[in-house]
Amino acid sequence: MAGKKERSIWVFGDYRDYFENRVTLQLLSRANELAGKIKATVAAVVFGNNVDEWVGEYIAHGARKVYVIEDPALQDYSMETYSILMERLARKHEPEIILVGATTFGREFAPKVAKKLGTGLTADCVGLDINKEGLLVQMAPSFGGNLLAEIVTPVHRPQMSTVRPGTFQEIPHDNQAAGDVIRVPLPRDLPKDRLRVISAKRWEQTGQRLEDAKVVVCGGRGMGSRAKYKKLFELAELLGGEVGATRPVVYSKWVDEEALVGQAGKQVAPEVLFSFGVSGAIQHTAALSEADFIIAVNKNANAAMMKMADVAIVADAGQLCTALIRELKDRIRH
Amino acid sequence: MSDILKLVVCIKQVPAVSELPWDAATGTLKRDLAEGMINPACKHALEAALQLKERHGGRIVVFTMGPPMAEEVLREAMAMGADQGVLLTDRAMAGADTSVTSFTLARAVAGVCPDFDLVMCGNRTIDSETAQVGPQLAEELKIPGAANVHQLTLSGKILRLERLSDNFLETLEMDLPGLVTISTREYFPRYVSMEGIQDTFDKGTILSLGAKDLGLDINLLGSKASPTRILDVYSPTAKKNNVVLKGSPKKIVEELFTRFGDKIGGVIRKDIKKADT
Amino acid sequence: MNFNPCMKHKLVRKTVRLFAETELSPIAHEIDRDARLPMEVLYKMGPLNYFGLQAPKKYGGAAMDSISYAIAVEELSRVCAAVGLCVSVHNSVGLFPILKFGTREQQDRFIPRLASGEYIGAFSLTEANAGSDAGGVETHAVKDGDSYIINGTKIFVTNGGICDLALIFAVADFNHPRQSTSVFMIQKGQAGFSVGEIEDLCGMRANPVSSLFLEDCRVPRSQLLGKVGDGLKIGLAALDAGRIGIAVQALGIAQGAFDAAVKYSKERQQFNKPIASFQTIQNYLADMATWIDAARLLVYRACAVKDSGRPYSAEAAMAKLYCSEMATRVTNMAVQVHGGYGYSKEYDVERYFRDAKVTEIYEGTSEVQRMVISRAVLSKLT
Repeated sequence: MAGKKERSIWVFGDYRDYFENRVTLQLLSRANELAGKIKATVAAVVFGNNVDEWVGEYIAHGARKVYVIEDPALQDYSMETYSILMERLARKHEPEIILVGATTFGREFAPKVAKKLGTGLTADCVGLDINKEGLLVQMAPSFGGNLLAEIVTPVHRPQMSTVRPGTFQEIPHDNQAAGDVIRVPLPRDLPKDRLRVISAKRWEQTGQRLEDAKVVVCGGRGMGSRAKYKKLFELAELLGGEVGATRPVVYSKWVDEEALVGQAGKQVAPEVLFSFGVSGAIQHTAALSEADFIIAVNKNANAAMMKMADVAIVADAGQLCTALIRELKDRIRH
Repeated sequence: MSDILKLVVCIKQVPAVSELPWDAATGTLKRDLAEGMINPACKHALEAALQLKERHGGRIVVFTMGPPMAEEVLREAMAMGADQGVLLTDRAMAGADTSVTSFTLARAVAGVCPDFDLVMCGNRTIDSETAQVGPQLAEELKIPGAANVHQLTLSGKILRLERLSDNFLETLEMDLPGLVTISTREYFPRYVSMEGIQDTFDKGTILSLGAKDLGLDINLLGSKASPTRILDVYSPTAKKNNVVLKGSPKKIVEELFTRFGDKIGGVIRKDIKKADT
Repeated sequence: MNFNPCMKHKLVRKTVRLFAETELSPIAHEIDRDARLPMEVLYKMGPLNYFGLQAPKKYGGAAMDSISYAIAVEELSRVCAAVGLCVSVHNSVGLFPILKFGTREQQDRFIPRLASGEYIGAFSLTEANAGSDAGGVETHAVKDGDSYIINGTKIFVTNGGICDLALIFAVADFNHPRQSTSVFMIQKGQAGFSVGEIEDLCGMRANPVSSLFLEDCRVPRSQLLGKVGDGLKIGLAALDAGRIGIAVQALGIAQGAFDAAVKYSKERQQFNKPIASFQTIQNYLADMATWIDAARLLVYRACAVKDSGRPYSAEAAMAKLYCSEMATRVTNMAVQVHGGYGYSKEYDVERYFRDAKVTEIYEGTSEVQRMVISRAVLSKLT
């Protein structure tokens, strides 16, 4: 039977937060690369109401096929309904692989679908490949990205992963790209939704959020004092960034709880992270796994934070901060 | 059955360390050296359950799956105010992935507390970080589930909840019985009191169940029943070759801009490569 | 004999450690510098039963065994010895004597307030001319109808600056001081009772150790603990319990210093190697670890004997003697492992070093402990 069916890799079309998060396009790109290795076609699956815009977008970014279920009843993202629809489609078409973006929605949706299909699922992957047995090798982080596990699903199908946004590069938009659109009617026998959306408002933040900042300046107790810690705000302003803190700093009341970066606080994903006087307990570093480039300053060259930094500066955090502010002011003036 | 609120909280014991329990020489996890603790989000879930109980009355049963020592986290949960602990422990259960873990938990919950109103889990663990067991447990129990919840209001058999999901603040309504996973945004866990500890050891009971007690075929449990298989684990951070800068602050800053001025300047969209001369 | 900690004791340790590391660790340096007892943290500790660790449940206590008590004080002291001291003194020589010698009425009146932390307790035996020699008390209690009029000055009173209830040792008849030493429970605000200046001490600076003044302080008989003349008996019983408290406090300080030394020795590099890879440092760490373990076993043994109901003066004295001298040694070594940084206020070890010394002095100096131990040794029939 498997021989007859066309092998396919599916990507779930997660468009709700499209302008913030283009993970679906990134997955379509990687799916195309993987498809070449197992001779499969790449399909997107879209549920919702008025989704033509997304269908076109997915084709332009590498989907050769798009399964669409469109209905006013699907206007809001519904965990229960969407997962049932996905299960039914997958049972019918038997894709080899299903990839879902590791958005908040995706990370709840995919486990439900995998469970319904009785297959395995690997969470929040930061790498995907095909090995010589033709299996999908899924790189999954644990302990806050401090460890990576390579995971396969040897027997059960489909092989399923949620994939962290930003892991792969999207293919440039191609207006000439063509793809089949397969419209599937909304089944009439769906069970009554036991979980109802009362409201879903876009979460408005006042000012820039620490989680979204391109530059984050994080300070630990190695800053020495509240007064010295406050200098980080001056530095962050020069860099157009936000200030974060470790737990001891928050408990010392140098700054509000809002600034806490760590397992119990915020996860950050800056392009540049400055880390001042932070020792690097995993409760803190677990929230830094998505930082692209880390510059750490610590008197202790062997602090865990220094080991995970791209640039490790052995110096007094407070003094270096002052020197950096002075130098930046000089350079930015021109 | 009485109509008191029946809450089930599922918790996980995770290593309590501030260093990575990783042996770089052998490339293995040093799990046995680490002390265990209740996974933080699980503790928030328990706190949410305790607050529901304080408001509405009821009974909290806490489940965990793990080695016999995982009884510790059940005792701690009971010291915080849970009424009973259920320990699922069996060699056959070891190495289960999320799919099999949720299957095992579901059979136990259905067996021990078939008339539960609400199952509560942490939204993610700090060790394996999959965030999958909660949603899959809801599937196994065939009940509605909602992940990453930070606020709960109960009226009758309807639970109103709030959560942040991909930049949307959602308000949802769920028919009970149901399942929620709790984020660490709210419901900061209380400290355990000394009296609570003494009480749990004086009069608390733990129900310890193996595969046989649950009537489960061991072929459906543990690593061998798990659809996923781990091929390899390694530490990407341990391999990092970084640039180390030393000297006077001024010298360091100058060198930093010389070598990485383009990179930093690119991010902040300012030309900082050249010093003012 | 079982040397594995039971699950309860592990949970007590974990729980107190979490509390101490969360609430006390961030401020330990600052409260030492400012000589400030963190009342805001003490208020959180009350409902968690830290002030009634061994008090009966009917009085709002946790009714714990002595090892649990010991672990709690050890873990607090591991992070902040001054708060560990406050809790230890309150429980062992503030609350415990009332539980052991108080009337039902006195217990009903004072224990719930002490156990909840509403009242902080203190114990004041020491005077300018009385300390190791408890018979030298000069504070005078004169019977006047149904009351006593008390005059005298107490010094070096732990928790003195904030205590709500102090056990005051006074002599009723200077012709027979040993037979007339008595203990009075005096409340804050009682006329004639006042707190003197806070002492400027080398260590334990966050604890408001002070003198207490009694000037024609009228105390009703209902606040006399036991009978007139029970003073030395009460004092000795309290000090036996207190010595376990000081022993574990010293243990906690040593453990804190040791943990810091281990961490530092793994991080600090010299000659391109962590200093932990040098044999000299390894030897230091090995010695520290061994002494700490030996000390811990001695305290737990004293606790076990206490809980069995047998006399434990010698065991408590041995534990106190060994733990306190060990703590001074270990903290000294921890400073040495830290080198120049260890001598700096930037690191915690210098605070541990200062805090440790007093454990050899208060609640019976090392000399007094040796006296107690040698008496027990020599009185044994051979």
